[in-house]
Amino acid sequence: MKILMPAEVTAIRDLTPRIRLFTIKPRKRPAFPPFRGGAHTILQLRPGLRRPYSITSDPTRPESWEVAVLREPEGRGGSRWLHEEAVVGSPIAASFPQQNFVLAEGATRHILIAGGIGITPFLSMLAEAPGAELHYCARAPEDAAFLPELRALLGPRLVTWFASEGRRLDLPALLAAPAPGTHAYACGPARLLEAFSAATAHWPAGQAHLEHFSGLPPGAAGEGAAFEAEIASTGAVIAVPAGVTLLAALRAAGQRVDSACEGGVCGACAVPLEGGEAEHRDMCLKPGERAGQIITCVSRGKGRVRLGL
Amino acid sequence: MTWQGELLHIFIAEAASMEMEELAEGRMIPGVGIEGDRYATAQGTYSHMPHEDRQCTLMEIETMEALERDHGLPLTPQESRRNLTTRGVPLNHLVGRHFRVGEVLLFGGRLNKPCKYFDDLLGRPLFNPLLNRSGLNCRIIEGGVIRPGDTIRPA
Repeated sequence: MKILMPAEVTAIRDLTPRIRLFTIKPRKRPAFPPFRGGAHTILQLRPGLRRPYSITSDPTRPESWEVAVLREPEGRGGSRWLHEEAVVGSPIAASFPQQNFVLAEGATRHILIAGGIGITPFLSMLAEAPGAELHYCARAPEDAAFLPELRALLGPRLVTWFASEGRRLDLPALLAAPAPGTHAYACGPARLLEAFSAATAHWPAGQAHLEHFSGLPPGAAGEGAAFEAEIASTGAVIAVPAGVTLLAALRAAGQRVDSACEGGVCGACAVPLEGGEAEHRDMCLKPGERAGQIITCVSRGKGRVRLGL
Repeated sequence: MTWQGELLHIFIAEAASMEMEELAEGRMIPGVGIEGDRYATAQGTYSHMPHEDRQCTLMEIETMEALERDHGLPLTPQESRRNLTTRGVPLNHLVGRHFRVGEVLLFGGRLNKPCKYFDDLLGRPLFNPLLNRSGLNCRIIEGGVIRPGDTIRPA
């Protein structure tokens, strides 16, 4: 469970027909804590509904934050709540900044690649990387949030790739030759990230960075065989049936486990893994972290796993 | 019993896992809690298991100083998630006793137990170092307004 700061929605405006910008301010403190570009916050929209969103506002203006949210009718409910229920004055709560995606220190060149709503973490990063170049892919200019601001800020360092204009970004060509000091970053739909991973497979470790937005879809998160979870502190054994997530089974058994994205992306529902074999399906743990943690919203066990709860 | 201590801070949180907010004065409501606090409004982590000893929680600043000194684990009064921070008050000896914070009369109900939830909230391994010194859970017997600097003494 993350500590949350009471906040409220203070402005709402449409950026595109499907993307809406929400300004939030803290209710009990004069300003939000500092963050670096690329950070996200976990918003509690109402009790039990928490979702991670990149902070798109300037890190030097901590008195309010902005988040841009794509309406996803088939999503898990966070974007629907924000688009349909939120009004100016809605009380919500925000976690402290979560800093998983950040510009590399000491880099001499930053190549940012955004697909659609994946533009959001780059907005705050650009304030810290005046020389960065941004490749922005979207269906059409009218679907591309922040386009006027980015044009004004970046000039020729913004390269747009709109399908409606017949332009498609050739990632293998753009990323063909890694150079010392050059770092590449991608955020967007799974297809873009897969292409980015493939195009940077030959890059030196640590020079290609990506931020997942969409994890496993709601129906797929619970797919897989039945298994058991043993609670280390009590010895209780919880059955996790096929089609049910470990997170849901733990909560049904009275265990308090936080969550936010519920798609294996944000890491909020990680619990210590003390024994047994896990089938990791998340997109957030580093390989070295997988021996000791499990992301309960998507990952499963084989047979029985022992959890440090 | 000859001791006298001081109230250092007053905190409330409007709901479970919300950041604690420091108050310049707290209104103590007998049988309920501190005005605006999660346990006065049934919004706390343990509000589904109501207990009169959750009306007000206290913790010694000396414990926080010892955690930093002996374990290198910083814990600020605001992070402690207790309502009142004290100096010079033997909280562990006040179970089953009445004592005053300013004009307010409290009854020491039971020792507070640390919770794994707390480690998770702060990301620091505080559970074991806090065993047996996690503070005191109290009932509010006589209400009133308290402020930092108020004297704490046996009743």
